[in-house]
Amino acid sequence: MIEHSRTGPVLRHAVLIGFALIVLFPFVWIVMASFKTQIALLMGQWRFAPTLFSYDSVINGKTSDFVTNFKNSSIIAIASTTIVLSVATLAAFSLYRLQWADWVLRVLLAWSVIFHMVPPITLAGAWYTMFRSVGLDNTYAGIILAHTTINLPMALWMMGVFIRDVPKELVEAAQIDGARTPKVLRYVVIPIVRPGLAATGILCFIFSWNEFPVALTLSQRATATVPLGIGKYAQENTIAYTEMAAASTLSIIPAFILLIVAQRFIVRGLTSGAVK
Amino acid sequence: MATVELKGVSKRFGAVEVIHSVDLSIREGEFLVLVGPSGCGKSTLLRMISGLETISSGDLFIGGKRVNDVPARDRGISMVFQSYALYPHMTSAQNMSFALKLAGKSPDEQAERIKPAAGVLGLGDYLDRFPRELSGGQRQRVAMGRAIVREPEVFLFDEPLSNLDAKLRVRMRAELKELHQKLKTTTVYVTHDQIEAMTLADRIVVLRDGVIEQVGAPLELYDNPANRFVGSFLGSPAMNFFELSIPDGTPDRARFADGDSLQLPRELGGRSSVTVGVRPESLELVSEAGDGTISAEVAVIEPTGSETELFLRKGKDQIIASFRDRIDVRPGEIVHLEANPAKYHLFDTTTELAI
Repeated sequence: MIEHSRTGPVLRHAVLIGFALIVLFPFVWIVMASFKTQIALLMGQWRFAPTLFSYDSVINGKTSDFVTNFKNSSIIAIASTTIVLSVATLAAFSLYRLQWADWVLRVLLAWSVIFHMVPPITLAGAWYTMFRSVGLDNTYAGIILAHTTINLPMALWMMGVFIRDVPKELVEAAQIDGARTPKVLRYVVIPIVRPGLAATGILCFIFSWNEFPVALTLSQRATATVPLGIGKYAQENTIAYTEMAAASTLSIIPAFILLIVAQRFIVRGLTSGAVK
Repeated sequence: MATVELKGVSKRFGAVEVIHSVDLSIREGEFLVLVGPSGCGKSTLLRMISGLETISSGDLFIGGKRVNDVPARDRGISMVFQSYALYPHMTSAQNMSFALKLAGKSPDEQAERIKPAAGVLGLGDYLDRFPRELSGGQRQRVAMGRAIVREPEVFLFDEPLSNLDAKLRVRMRAELKELHQKLKTTTVYVTHDQIEAMTLADRIVVLRDGVIEQVGAPLELYDNPANRFVGSFLGSPAMNFFELSIPDGTPDRARFADGDSLQLPRELGGRSSVTVGVRPESLELVSEAGDGTISAEVAVIEPTGSETELFLRKGKDQIIASFRDRIDVRPGEIVHLEANPAKYHLFDTTTELAI
């Protein structure tokens, strides 16, 4: 008995630690690489004198666009996430709470899933042609529109789940209390689904931040995003591994900050006590 | 305060009609209870009055004004939900003043207006708490407070006590009644609990399958049910029903299959059968079988302290009798019961209507 109860937890922890190492190793390797010199990296040194050379080159280098890439990505991710959250929340509320015929709900949701299953790259070419003909190629608006389109189905499904969790009676109580739909949303539904908004928003932001193929097709140097900036360190003749690692490490920071800030919103049990 | 009038009100969901042309007139200041088994349409009817459900046909008047097409917020009603439906992210005070805030009242006026309601409901100490920090009874009071603060013309209650435990339910029932006596606001109250209906109502409306079976004062319905359904629905334990035959030549007697017979309160000429309803408390134990007694076998004895209930078998019929006195019988024993013929309720066996 005693033997059994000891080996159980030890084994469990060993598996968990092993798994954590597998997940963390590439990340640690990249962060370490970002502090190495190219030579130290290529020689595979584990003990090395850390240097900020790569960071300096990425941020201040004459040929580096990384700061611009960072700004572009921030604008595009924030704008597309804001649009996606607004549209998805309104759409989910409408679909689940405004008494649409059943088939409308099914058709829309099924269509959005199908759309979500199409790899974005298949759409990129068509978008490029369309955007070029209306002058939206190489603009923020073009990429923002594209990212909004890519992320909307997932956000609609997620917000649908959160909105369905808001008891119908709360909406009805607000209607009786004198609220029209915009105020029902503003004062009752949105405050209650705030954790859902935070979770959906983080995912949309990260997807937009990381998205590569569509941004590659629709942007040029002035509107290039962070993933394109990172990709640029792999050139025809050389691969600037350490700069690439430094850029990658920097690119993780926004998502990291977002998660820490939003953590306090993602609290379970906010609705406890509303209905028995 | 206002009257509420329903004229030929129906509700259809697709092809299914769930409320069939209901006519009902609710007086100013009245406490009206809609009661019926689950699925009878009572909540739907209440939601139609509130404006949360549309009216398929017929007219609804509140305070003499036709409100079929008036949205819920403009009907001058307040509603208390079974689930309380308190806004979880607002304190008790914010919950209660939400309607005032929407109406554009200043924070001072909001605070001023919730004070009397909080006082009446004993919520003074809980105004800064969130719903999750309140007990079931307190949440229920906040929900009522929210309804009161709007000073509505009509209160609507949708099974407001069914989430509370038995003890609290009895207390809140009394508080509700007291509140109504104080405010005298027209109230429509939905419940499936016939005790709640009996104790709270000025008048009860018994609904079945979207049709009004009977409307009247609680005791009037209890003493003179219009049909077998109303008789069986009101009263606990429920009324006993015996389907008896009336032998040729004795129109004032009704006979059980096993030969026992009852003296009817009046002659029923031209009928060969009758359903006799007897309330459990109208039955008395007698020591010997005789003319007009019912013999039955004791199945189960349930002493509740204040009363003793006997479950008896007579052929395929089950009989329930309740006594204020403590009685000494055992399961399997044959006992003899008797009731004053004046307390019999007579129903047509086929139509189930009172005769």
